[in-house]
This record gives sequence, C-alpha cells and structure tokens, in this order.
Amino acid sequence: MVLKQLGLALKYLFRRPYTRMFPIKEEEYVTGRTRARHILYMDRCTGCTACQMACPADAIKMYYIEGDYPKNRRKIFPGIDYSRCTYCGLCVEACPVSALVMTSYTMQHLITDDKKTTLYTPEMLAKPPRGKHLVTLEKKTWTPPPAPLPKKR
Amino acid sequence: MNKTVTVFLGPQHPGAPGNVSFKVVLDGEQVIDIDLIPGFLHRGFEKMMEYRRWDMDLVMSARICVEDPDHVELTYTHAVEQIFGIEPPEKAKYIRVIVAEFSRIASHLLWLMHFAGPIAARYAVGWAIAAREEVLKWFDYITGHRIYHHYIFPGGVRWNIPSDFKEKTLKVLKTIEPLVKDIEVGFFKHPVFQKRAMGLGRLKPTEAIRLGATGPTLRGSGICHDLRKTLGYDAYTELEFKIPRGEYGDAYDRAMIRINEIYESMNIIRQALEKMPMDGPYRWRLPMVMPEGEGIGRVESARGEFVAHIINYRGNQIGRRSLAPYRIKFRGPTMPLLTTILKYIVKNEDITIADLPVLIGSFDPCPPDIDR
Repeated sequence: MVLKQLGLALKYLFRRPYTRMFPIKEEEYVTGRTRARHILYMDRCTGCTACQMACPADAIKMYYIEGDYPKNRRKIFPGIDYSRCTYCGLCVEACPVSALVMTSYTMQHLITDDKKTTLYTPEMLAKPPRGKHLVTLEKKTWTPPPAPLPKKR
Repeated sequence: MNKTVTVFLGPQHPGAPGNVSFKVVLDGEQVIDIDLIPGFLHRGFEKMMEYRRWDMDLVMSARICVEDPDHVELTYTHAVEQIFGIEPPEKAKYIRVIVAEFSRIASHLLWLMHFAGPIAARYAVGWAIAAREEVLKWFDYITGHRIYHHYIFPGGVRWNIPSDFKEKTLKVLKTIEPLVKDIEVGFFKHPVFQKRAMGLGRLKPTEAIRLGATGPTLRGSGICHDLRKTLGYDAYTELEFKIPRGEYGDAYDRAMIRINEIYESMNIIRQALEKMPMDGPYRWRLPMVMPEGEGIGRVESARGEFVAHIINYRGNQIGRRSLAPYRIKFRGPTMPLLTTILKYIVKNEDITIADLPVLIGSFDPCPPDIDR
C-alpha cells in the first residue's frame, strides 16, 4: 500500500521550500571559517616566496613593486590568479610573518566575464574587500603545538 | 541480418552516473553486453603529485573522489603518517572519525540524488539534497569549505574545533534524521521502487569476492567486511557500531545498506562526540622534508576500500622533485564495480535498458576515482 507515502506527500505539500533565494533575497552562506579572498599586508611581507612554493595550483607569482618597503629588500610581493586558486589556505600557513590572511569574502563576488580580471596584483590584494567580510584564516588560527619526536618504525 | 544494436550511454546522457560512457549492445530492449569507456575525467593527479610537496599533495588527493573527499584525504594521511612514523593526537583521531562519517553521510545522500533521479522519484532527490545541504553547512562551519575540505591533515587535523562543536553537530544530526527517515519510508519502502529493484542484479558472495567488490556492494552480498572493524584505524576501535549487510545481493539490498549506514554513521558520530577529549593537542607539526620510506593507507570509504600507496625515495632527484614523493598510487573502489561486476551481471541475468539506471545506480559509482 502507498498510504504512508501519500501521507508523507501531504506533509511536504504544506512545507516551506528549502531553497535559499540567493542573491535576490538572501546573502550567501558564510561561516567564521569560510576561506575566500586574501588580504596581503605589504608592510609585513619579506618577499621570501614561501607562499609561492606552497601553492599546489601554481596560482601565486611574485611581482616587483616600487616603493619604500624596509622589510622587503627585493621588493617582490605575491600576486594571486583567482582562476587557478583553490582556496586551500596553504599559502597562509606557509607565510612566516603572517603577511597573508584569508577572509570570508567569497567567490560569488569574484564572478567575472573577463578572465583577465581574475589576476590580483599585490596592490589589489593589499586593499581589503569592499563588502562585509571577516578575517577567517590567519597564522594564529592554525599554529599547532611543537612537533613530537617521531617514533622509530 | 544482425539484430543487435550498439548504443553509447553517456557521458552527456542524464542517466549516466557522471563522466563515464558505456557501450551497450542491445537486442531489442535486452542488454546483451556492456563495456565501460573511461577517460573523460583523467586529470593525471598521481603524476602531478610526484612534483609537489607532501602537504600540497593532500590538496590534490581530495579531488580524486568528489563526492567523498575526506576518505581520500584520510587514506593519504595514513600513508604519510606511516612514513613519518607518528601517531596523531587522541583528539584528532575522534575529530577525523566525525568528519569522515559526515562525509559518508553526504556521499550517500548525493548517491540518493543520482539514484532516485533517473527512476523519476524527484521528491526523494529534493529531500536528499535538503539533508545534504545541512551537512555541507556543517562542513563549512568546521573546515571552511563545503566540498573540498582539506581538513584531515598528516599529523592530526588542520584546525581546532570551535567551542560550540558538540551542540552544533548534534543539532545537524537532529535536523537530518527525520529527513532520512522520510526518504526511507517515501522512497525505499515504496512498492514501485521495490518492484524495480528487488531481485535485480543479484551478486553471489563468492562472485563478489572473486570480482573485486568492496564496500556496500560486498556487504550487500552478505559478507560482513568493513575496514573500520577489521583494521580499526583512528578511533573506530573505541566505538561500537554494527555493519549492515544484505541477504540476497540484489540492487535493493545494496540500496538499503546505504540508508542503514547513514543511521550507523549518525550513531558513530554521537558516540564519538561523547568520548572525544576536549583538551589536548589536535595536530603535530611535521617537518617539510618527508623521510625516505614506504607507506600504505587503507580506509573504508562510502563506496568501498580506498588505498593510497606512497613510496618516498629521494635518490638523485633534483629541483622541485627533491621534496616530492617518488611515486603515489591510489586504488579506488569504483573500477571493479563498473567493469567486471557490471559485465558479470549483464551476462548472467536478463537486464533491459530500463533496468540499467537502477543497476548502475545501485553500485554508487564515482567516475573521478576511476580516472584520477
């Protein structure tokens, strides 16, 4: 018999739809940990290229920027190509001086019809996003306790 | 005159289980032979991993199985930890179990969408996706991403759990449990579905072992084999759970195992939340250079046994390869399901073209892990 199934159908008939009306009525769902667009603190960056070496998607390249940066003698800073970035956060983990952080400013805002605009130069990364955002991933978020001595196999 | 017709099913066909194609030989509507045509999703991850550091490889590994990424991360993590010769902290073991079980639930719910859709049970698709959405929100809350989490990491887990972790997790379980129960009654106990799935694609236990089945397909044939019990990795030895198994080995048994596994996963998560230590470290920081050695990770993923085999031999490798593993090999559970087992069933049973979506869907195939 299908009476149970009919009862269920009636129950769901009078329920509100689950669909979220994004972006017309609601904003995107973000949490305090959503990893999205980076911010680069150029005054902290030493140009060590650790973020470039840690990037599994080869999205980070170093750019020469003119200016007065006493900590960065070579004056090279990371620029991120967001068409390649997977938002894994390994660059933030690799940065020894906490110059790169990730915010919750999601990819919805990075949607574009021009592929050239996905490349964010260091100056563009240095400006915080215009919209509402939280800093979700920085050095202190992940710093684990000291490593134990590995057991011998 | 030859009466048989050759038809290609997929990869664009909406009834195909993802990015694979099948060459189906038909006599009328009777399926005589079926061959898998893989390769539409080949991305060469195993080769790419040979040029990246072990921590970067974890990000690659998650992409091998889109529906169930945490178990691939887990198997890779076990292999790397074996090479480093370390054990993760106690707290991380429990967090891993919870994340892996949520990944299993999300994977089974996504399977339900692929399975119920081609059978025209659209209501079950909607309920399954609504339940999965809650799980994905939970993943966003704990790991920062919805699909690829990169959370289980060699040495533990990547970040500590938030302070309201227990309450939030229990709330998610409370939300999805009634939806799963409704799916069970509305779809799995529905007479139309039962008529379509019962007795279809029977696989004997001996044949299931011989043809290389693992996971719910093997358990559907009545064999009680689960690596969570057999190997007892992470915190599974501390937890009590049942292994659902089928009786007849048909499509209906395989489907019911998955719905029962969702209930068991919820049970495991509740137990792990109670037993988990809230203090203590959650991750060991590991050196950038991996020692030489060999490691094998085996986990019970949503589809079956996932294996990662890593050989790290630096030798005279130069440049970027000097920090990368020498060779990585993954074994996914889907390949035998869509080749040997599917062919065996089609050859030994009367299967019509209308049965194919139910039959293929009952294996829960994941084409990305065939191609890698």
